[in-house]
Amino acid sequence: MPVTVEALAKLIDHTRLKPETKRAKIQELCEEALAYEFASVCINPVHVEYAAELLKGSSVDVCCVVGFPLGATMSEVKAFETKESIRKGATEVDMVINVGALRDENYDLVRSDIEAVVEAADGKIVKVILETGLLIDDQKRKGCILSKEAGAHFVKTSTGFGPMGATPDDVRLMRKTVGSKMGVKAAGGIRSFKDALRLIDAGATRLGTSSGVAIVEGYRWAGYSDAWLEPDKPCWTCPSRQASLGKQPKEVYLWYKERCVTCPHREQNIFND
Amino acid sequence: MTATNQHLFADTKLLKVSLTSQTSKELPLSSTDFTHFLGGRGLGVKLVYDAVTPEIAPLSSDNLLVFAIGPLTATIAPTAGRTAIITKSPLTGTIFDSNVGGYFGPQLRRAGYAALIIEGRASSPVYLWINDGKIEFRSAKGIWGKEVSPSTDLILEKTDSKAQVACIGPAGENQVKLAAIMTDKHRAAGRGGVGAVMGSKNLKGVVVKGTQKVAVANTEQLDKVITRVRRLIKKDSITNKSLPVYGTPVLVNLANEYGLLPTHNFQEGTFNDAEGVSGEKLLERLFVKRYHCFGCPIGCGRISRAYDEEGGGPEYETLWALGPQCGINDLEWIAAANFRCNELGLDTISLGSTLGCAMELVQKGKLKAPLKFGETEGLMELIDDVALSHGLGAELGEGSKAFSTRYNAPELSMNVKGLELPAYDPRGVQGHALSYATSNRGGCHLRAYLIGPEILGSPVLVDRDRTEGKAGLVVLFQNLSAAMDSLVLCRFTTFAFTVEDYADLLAAATGLPIGGQELLRIGERIWNLERLFNLREGFSSKDDSLPPRFSTPLPEGGSRNRIAHLDEMLPEYYQLRGWDKKGQPTQTRLKKLNLA
Repeated sequence: MPVTVEALAKLIDHTRLKPETKRAKIQELCEEALAYEFASVCINPVHVEYAAELLKGSSVDVCCVVGFPLGATMSEVKAFETKESIRKGATEVDMVINVGALRDENYDLVRSDIEAVVEAADGKIVKVILETGLLIDDQKRKGCILSKEAGAHFVKTSTGFGPMGATPDDVRLMRKTVGSKMGVKAAGGIRSFKDALRLIDAGATRLGTSSGVAIVEGYRWAGYSDAWLEPDKPCWTCPSRQASLGKQPKEVYLWYKERCVTCPHREQNIFND
Repeated sequence: MTATNQHLFADTKLLKVSLTSQTSKELPLSSTDFTHFLGGRGLGVKLVYDAVTPEIAPLSSDNLLVFAIGPLTATIAPTAGRTAIITKSPLTGTIFDSNVGGYFGPQLRRAGYAALIIEGRASSPVYLWINDGKIEFRSAKGIWGKEVSPSTDLILEKTDSKAQVACIGPAGENQVKLAAIMTDKHRAAGRGGVGAVMGSKNLKGVVVKGTQKVAVANTEQLDKVITRVRRLIKKDSITNKSLPVYGTPVLVNLANEYGLLPTHNFQEGTFNDAEGVSGEKLLERLFVKRYHCFGCPIGCGRISRAYDEEGGGPEYETLWALGPQCGINDLEWIAAANFRCNELGLDTISLGSTLGCAMELVQKGKLKAPLKFGETEGLMELIDDVALSHGLGAELGEGSKAFSTRYNAPELSMNVKGLELPAYDPRGVQGHALSYATSNRGGCHLRAYLIGPEILGSPVLVDRDRTEGKAGLVVLFQNLSAAMDSLVLCRFTTFAFTVEDYADLLAAATGLPIGGQELLRIGERIWNLERLFNLREGFSSKDDSLPPRFSTPLPEGGSRNRIAHLDEMLPEYYQLRGWDKKGQPTQTRLKKLNLA
């Protein structure tokens, strides 16, 4: 087993961001985070105070999303949301980048937007969500560089509400861009321990998932057979497979699909299975 | 591990009854049998292996019929209400365990017994009444000849309404090789013709009531484990959502999407009208309420209504067997046919598969009979004829292997070791194909349910087309399933539990110090003993095979162009099992397992 069950749990931000979430679910989330010793619970701002109370004195952080899930609110609003969340007990902040500005190449605005949150966070960890499914690789690289320049601590792949989840390709690219000292959080569509291990192998230092319990429990099976870790078809984990014309800008979608034509694994890309 | 009487369950007794002499005696459960085989399937296999030699025919009086429960039965462990029934199968000639839910097992445990061992044959039909430690052989006059529900009602009327009944219907009485043993009227120990063995003994039913308290070794520890495993059941989407909402029929649409839903006797893997016979449609059209077996928080059972009649089921396998396998898309008819099979005491999987085989024989001009894929006319009457052993029904009641051989087309029987394959075409799931071929009881999906990882992604999705690594997974699940069947817990818990959870439950309930690896070793021992039984009966590696149809690609659907690559997996499977190239367990491995 590449990492221990306990070490895997320590990398997980135990996440619940659905709009219909009730307090009972937040309580369950916190209880599970304590039982499994996850890194944090990742929640919407309205639940921060309650979660902080439940997790008081524990090693589990309270991670709050900001400008979520579109990233299209004003910097002042993101900063206010950050400040208030931290006042109520958040110890980490996952903000969504201004995706439109990044695609417009309005880099000053992107940078200042992040800086506003970093400043409001007052030394607490800030992760910047790029929403990679809306970007091509050059834009992802630029988003990473701007996040690093603005003083963020992590770059993060996705919100889980966008067109794509985390893929090893994206994590690898982000890790290569930010270097070894900055954190890379993979999030979105991580449902099994195999997904988790692939992303860790690609360079992720934190995993955002609502399937934390299933991942950790499933990973216990790895102790009984190496067969679980046999490689899958390469297309399964490729972002181009996830591309969707209905959810992505046309040029982004086509950029992903054009990669398939020159892909070394194209012979295996026959049926969708 | 050494068991003492302080290890709870080790002090539970075996009840041995002779139907010939109508006598009974209690035997101790030996500590070695407990630590080596636990209970349930493992214990039953050991008892049958020791007593039933090759010269004993399955339907002879010397064959044993064992009802066995396990160390977790009737405890607060989730799903701990099942019963294993073990015998030599008249359908396959292999060792056979058939597993049934309902509420029978806990009564047997509360009556103080780990197993009921039945030998001999009564001179006239009887039923057995176990009322705590009091055993009575009672005449079944007035009950024999009746269907399952009236038989159950009559037996309870004559004994105790709070007791539980396991009985046969007309199919079992007529020693039809597709006959089931039924509990709670609609839960079937369906496979392998165990009902025919009961019928051959002139035993209509077993009724049991127990009032003893079931103690556990460490209540606090057990509570802790139970809290954890119940949470896991609640967290898992299969055990908390899919199964409670749709029951096992949730699989119809999924299997069809993957091209795994055998259609027209496995000639195709997709059924055009799958939606019409799906779990979703069952919920919309026929659903009445859920049914929970003893101690089960999942509640996958259904009570349905068809043609103004209510009954249990249908399960996924039945929907398939009496539906797409025969080209039938009439959901209400399928449900009604399922009720009929329950009343007659018939295994719906083997019955439907044999009907599909007969339909293909007709399609290919090898049999003249009023049977056609997709048509239900006359079929209900034919099902009655199977149970009553009349005419064509009598021939069908021999199972598809014998039936197709009779009409010179054995290749049209979709069986392994004589047992009809269930509702997954193996061409689209390589691990499941290996699981079918190597199953000790013949074509069965439950010895190692590789559909879990290959399709459902439980505990993690693996590439269903790869052959590499599949032997290891099949061995793991076969060993775990054997252990689980000996505890005795429901197979659906594997979607939520890990190996350690089963060991922790066992340790807390009995006090037996055990971990996951030791539990798997017990499963491996059971698996090897079953293999030794089958080898002694004349089975060989040649029987670890699949019907020739699965070497021909599926023409269309989600598994098109695929065949089963058994030859790529079987050598590794033998090697991992510690067997030689002929599939014989080596002495070294047997010694390791305390079987030499």
